[in-house]
Amino acid sequence: MKIKLCPEARAELQTLGKSKNIWIEGSVVKLLDDCDGEFSEYIKSAIENDTSKRKKRLEITKQVQDQNKELQKKADENDSLMVELKEALRVAEEAKETALSDLDVMQRKSQFQLIGSIVKYALWVIVGTGIITTALYTFAITSNSSETTLIGNTWSNLFGILLTNSFSIIGTIMGVKYANKEDGDN
Amino acid sequence: MIDSILLVDDEDLFHIVFDDACSLLDITLSLNGVHSADEAEERVVSWMSDPTLKPDCIFVDLNIIGSSFDGIEFINRVNHKYGNGVVIGIISSSHNEEEIQKAQKVGAQFWIVKSDDIEPRLEEFKKDFEGFKEGTQTFKVYK
Repeated sequence: MKIKLCPEARAELQTLGKSKNIWIEGSVVKLLDDCDGEFSEYIKSAIENDTSKRKKRLEITKQVQDQNKELQKKADENDSLMVELKEALRVAEEAKETALSDLDVMQRKSQFQLIGSIVKYALWVIVGTGIITTALYTFAITSNSSETTLIGNTWSNLFGILLTNSFSIIGTIMGVKYANKEDGDN
Repeated sequence: MIDSILLVDDEDLFHIVFDDACSLLDITLSLNGVHSADEAEERVVSWMSDPTLKPDCIFVDLNIIGSSFDGIEFINRVNHKYGNGVVIGIISSSHNEEEIQKAQKVGAQFWIVKSDDIEPRLEEFKKDFEGFKEGTQTFKVYK
């Protein structure tokens, strides 16, 4: 199937091609009749023009396709890196939580050890003082000392103070233990 | 020269490449393109009522994003559901042997591997086209 253009249209197209470099493009050029060779030069130029444009476009499109592929590849790599990064972050968070928990346990342990030592020494002091004053009072009674009444009052006062201090220490220890238990529960 | 071709591919850029390559190689004067297998199926249905719209050859991508079925299923429907008898084959960047076998099984006549340099394959296909049309050319993979 060929399309035959009228002489006026052919002349217009030829003028347009030569003066303004405007040509018929696309598959339709291949369907134009050359009118016994009269229009062949125009058809040839139009096809050359179309081919040159298509070649350029094909080259550019292929470049864009390549760039797209490259971009897609980079995007995939980025996605993969993001996944790895998120995993590393999660592991680091977990490690941090564990370290903080260990630190807390160690701090509590050392606090308990300190409290234990204080209590131990305080009790030794209390028991020691109690034993010494009791021994002194007993010695005063058995040796019929004139200072028995004075020592008795002193012993009684001292024992009262020691007992009060002992309960105060025990109360403090219980309070600390209770506070630590509350922290642990939270 | 092939009278008319239908290209079924989701990639816009490939439509441009295919159009330019077909024009430069004088493969066809009439190229139509659709972007999904569903749209292509609608075309096939319309050819049943108006056979003048039917192309001579259909090139189908293997994985068509945004379609309810892939290229192999489309060929299967064209050949077995609509019994269209059109020259049809796959054009894909994949050359997985298993997929090629599947395509051949459902009646694909060719498999063209898409690459940066598609023109030599299309030129070879152009030479074989009459054989495909007459049924004398066996299934061929253009790598």
